[in-house]
Amino acid sequence: MAKDMTLLWGSGSAPCWRVMIMLEEKQLQGYNQKLLSFEKMEHKSQEVLDMNPRGQLPAFKCGKHILNESYAACFFLENQYKSQGTKLIPDSPDAQALMYQRLFEAVPLYQKIVEIVLYNYRVPEGERHDSAVQRNKEGLTAELKLWEGYLNKTDCCLAGKEFTLADVLFFPNVAFLFRLGLSSERYPALTKYYNGLKDRPSIKATWPPHWQTTPGPGIMNTV
Amino acid sequence: MAKDMTLLWGSGSPPCWRIQIILEEKQLQGYNQKQFSFEKMEHKSQEVLDMNPRGQLPAFKFGNHILNESYAACFFLENQYKSQGNKLIPDSPDAQALMYQRMFEAFTLVEKMMNAMYYNFKVPEGERHDSAIHRNKEAMTAELKLWEGYLKKTNCCLAGQEFTLADVLVYPFIAYMFHYGLSSERYPALAKYYNSLKDRPSIKATWPPYWQKYADQDALKTI
Repeated sequence: MAKDMTLLWGSGSAPCWRVMIMLEEKQLQGYNQKLLSFEKMEHKSQEVLDMNPRGQLPAFKCGKHILNESYAACFFLENQYKSQGTKLIPDSPDAQALMYQRLFEAVPLYQKIVEIVLYNYRVPEGERHDSAVQRNKEGLTAELKLWEGYLNKTDCCLAGKEFTLADVLFFPNVAFLFRLGLSSERYPALTKYYNGLKDRPSIKATWPPHWQTTPGPGIMNTV
Repeated sequence: MAKDMTLLWGSGSPPCWRIQIILEEKQLQGYNQKQFSFEKMEHKSQEVLDMNPRGQLPAFKFGNHILNESYAACFFLENQYKSQGNKLIPDSPDAQALMYQRMFEAFTLVEKMMNAMYYNFKVPEGERHDSAIHRNKEAMTAELKLWEGYLKKTNCCLAGQEFTLADVLVYPFIAYMFHYGLSSERYPALAKYYNSLKDRPSIKATWPPYWQKYADQDALKTI
């Protein structure tokens, strides 16, 4: 039941957004939720630490089950609510295999994005190098080229014609990239994917609130 | 059918080992396989690139499905062979939720381990700092402390009393760490886990024939 679920989240966090999209897709609106501020370091507050000793968002509780990893929450919800809302793991082996392969490839993609976005946060000033920044950028560029290729060969969605768990997990990464100024000209297939899904009800309903009101930093402009 | 499967693998690679374990667990012995040498850079050979454009092992093909991400291969195999061999995703919501949470937390464990162990591989000489090495070591120590806590509270396995997909995915990295010198005295719960599953048939049958030498055998002694 949605009433037994609690989500602590931060606006603009892709992992948080994945769980929120999932809850919409499975018709689990009405869950308890609290918006916290990364800027005010609220992800390190006692309230979060009580649910997630790692001091990270999302922190998600489903009854007595703690599922702080966004992938864990999504997989568990799909399994527990298989016959409710959208079916997100297709039966067709072709689509299923492609879905699993892409959704796990999305993990190194997200790591590469975060490495760039959080560079100054993670690396003390005395240890920063332009060569590292350049290398991180090249790493992401190569990674995005792969995804352009994947999306050129598929339909609306990562695993073919149907929206699956792979899209729940991957779309927030793509939206985040465009928020940070990724070039539509250089990445037409990613752009098409993004535009094709941004008005999907579950995605529109959970769009990061502060993205509607403030522009994002152009970190990804030159990727 | 095992005969429709091909695994390209390298010895001492935990992601490759995961797939080998699950193929045993699901009674899919008899699959086509070929061993490659990381040291000779064979993971970048055309044969591997044809199956995995990322030039990484494992590369896994099942019929016409490509599943190079070890998690993807394992999930797909469990799904396709639910009623064959050992059941690796439990029905009980308690065990299932814990299984998902732990298997996805393992991404963080592996990332911190790689940052600590492979610093000199990942960071060019001119960018290395003792302060970073120190910080990576502390991060890995803190992470291992979390896992000690998890394993103290559970039975034989990560999700409770039964061996699940979480163990297939995480055990290879635990074994890897003990091979490279992780201290049993400092990590008794991890050592207990490691020792109790060493002789599980699927694990024993697929134990790496040899371990890579590019990390020192004592690399983790002081963690």
